[in-house]
Amino acid sequence: MKKINYKLVILFIISLAIIIFGFVNYSLYKTPILKVNTVVNSKLNESSKETHYSQKITGTIMNGKYKGKTLKATNRYSSSLVYDDKISKGDEIFVELSQDGSSILGITGIKRDKYLIVLAVIFVDLLILIGGKKGIKTLISLVFNVGISSLAIILYVNNYFKINLLAMYLVVSVIFIIVSLFITNGRSKKTLAAILSAICALILSFGLSFILIKLNEKRIYIWSLEYIEAIYDYSNYLYVSVLLCGLGAVMDISITISSALNELIEKNSKISKSALIKSGKIISKDIVGTMINVMLFTCYTSVIPTVILASKNSMPIIKALEFYGGLELTIVLCNCVGIVLTIPVSLFISIMILNKKKGSVE
Amino acid sequence: MNKLLFLLLFILLLTVGKKRGAKTFFTFLTCMALIVIYIVFMRFGLNAIVMAFITTILASLISLFFLNGYSIKTKAAFISVMLVQIVAFILIYIVTKSASIGAFGEESLEVIAGFNYDINYNMNDVLIGMYLVSIVGTVIDTSISVSTAMNEVYENNPKLKEKELLKSGLNIGGDILSTTINTLYFALISGFIGFSMWHRGMPLEQMINYKLFVKALIQALTAFIASVLIIPVTAYITSKMLTK
Repeated sequence: MKKINYKLVILFIISLAIIIFGFVNYSLYKTPILKVNTVVNSKLNESSKETHYSQKITGTIMNGKYKGKTLKATNRYSSSLVYDDKISKGDEIFVELSQDGSSILGITGIKRDKYLIVLAVIFVDLLILIGGKKGIKTLISLVFNVGISSLAIILYVNNYFKINLLAMYLVVSVIFIIVSLFITNGRSKKTLAAILSAICALILSFGLSFILIKLNEKRIYIWSLEYIEAIYDYSNYLYVSVLLCGLGAVMDISITISSALNELIEKNSKISKSALIKSGKIISKDIVGTMINVMLFTCYTSVIPTVILASKNSMPIIKALEFYGGLELTIVLCNCVGIVLTIPVSLFISIMILNKKKGSVE
Repeated sequence: MNKLLFLLLFILLLTVGKKRGAKTFFTFLTCMALIVIYIVFMRFGLNAIVMAFITTILASLISLFFLNGYSIKTKAAFISVMLVQIVAFILIYIVTKSASIGAFGEESLEVIAGFNYDINYNMNDVLIGMYLVSIVGTVIDTSISVSTAMNEVYENNPKLKEKELLKSGLNIGGDILSTTINTLYFALISGFIGFSMWHRGMPLEQMINYKLFVKALIQALTAFIASVLIIPVTAYITSKMLTK
């Protein structure tokens, strides 16, 4: 008979419970939620280009004082969905009710939390099932990073004029480096070497990006950056974006190089410095190529919707790319440069620290 | 400014990596060009999702076979990347369609002011394609790391059985898990900083349902999921192909 894996069963039950909770958590919301039962779409106009629709929605209120009441609402959308929301049967929408609860004054949004919950549960489950203990460590480090990020943001928005955004994030980045590398790699010379390499590489590469951007400040169209209008300290926001984007990659390269060199030194304590540098270079050559592609695909793709909208509005694509994607490309390129710079810095510092250990033991 | 940065990157890659560095730079440029071509095709009305698939296939071909050579390990990585992209697509498609995520919110009104929204091109599909292309970099990265390391293990110990090799592949994957997630986290975080400043004091219940917040979080979570999922898939396929 096969033994039942209790841990697996428990994980499965907890996951299922969280997902179900995501689908029925209406009572936690103060805003009235309408569950859509029927939708009747009617075309408003049929220009050759685009169809606009009007939707007549009937649904049931799921929470609050008027729970169970059936109400009607209307919504409009166009087939391109550039700005507006299309509502379908089964959706749950946030609504504004009239004082006596007899009619809906407006739709304020769609309830989307359940999809995030499903994705988050899938992610955490995969992490635990595939990574085991290492997966849990990764999760702890991620939670820590999210916590630090949230604290920093809260601290900043509450002291808007007192704190320098860039100075704060420089300090926070160092904390990020120390905490993440510490949690996942434990206390060792190897981790110390990686932390110091990452900090030095970050200072060097960010310094370089800072100077380059500062010199070209006038030629940069900063308003294409997302959310930029809300930010009082906008030029520092650009620097913070540059600083954070490649931070994880810098850590990745630092720890990869220091672990590999540590392994080599442990296996052969008499290994020469030049042999270490040579092996280090081979290892880093392998990782740097895919790493800069990760930066490109992950960060640069975010410009796609704006460039599409602009070029569909008969702006030439090259101009749209330059206008709405130029700055994002600058951020990506600055970080690619930083990633390549991390290699020599990491090699130098790791060899210095790890070789010293060997010297003191002998 | 970007031309200068391209040049700087090229020089640095050449200094650190010589011939391999030049190849890396060429791959980077090609991937950049692929994204631009992808946008051009969408501009002329081709299906956003189909074009996204073609872009990811070409990007994988270039970064695996051109950069890392044609061998069992790159073949295994390619098959794994394709499988995970398909699974990720199904997940992305279901979530993006049902969450009814559009492209822009009120935050972008200033940027998109003056544009006509009637572009006769479904932005929901554009978003699905964008998610698909944005995760391919990390999926390729993780896949080739796992399959290269497994190949190394197998070459040093050719008597290893398929199951043992699979186990060591999963072990290697576990080691790179945290750095991969970390890299992605920071690559995606700056948008959230801007978001939080824009919506200072937005209640949590509103935030977790808010269009742009959900849009950014779907990108982050699907990238996380894909980069975890690629590990066992690559380990399994590589162990099968190496011991065959």
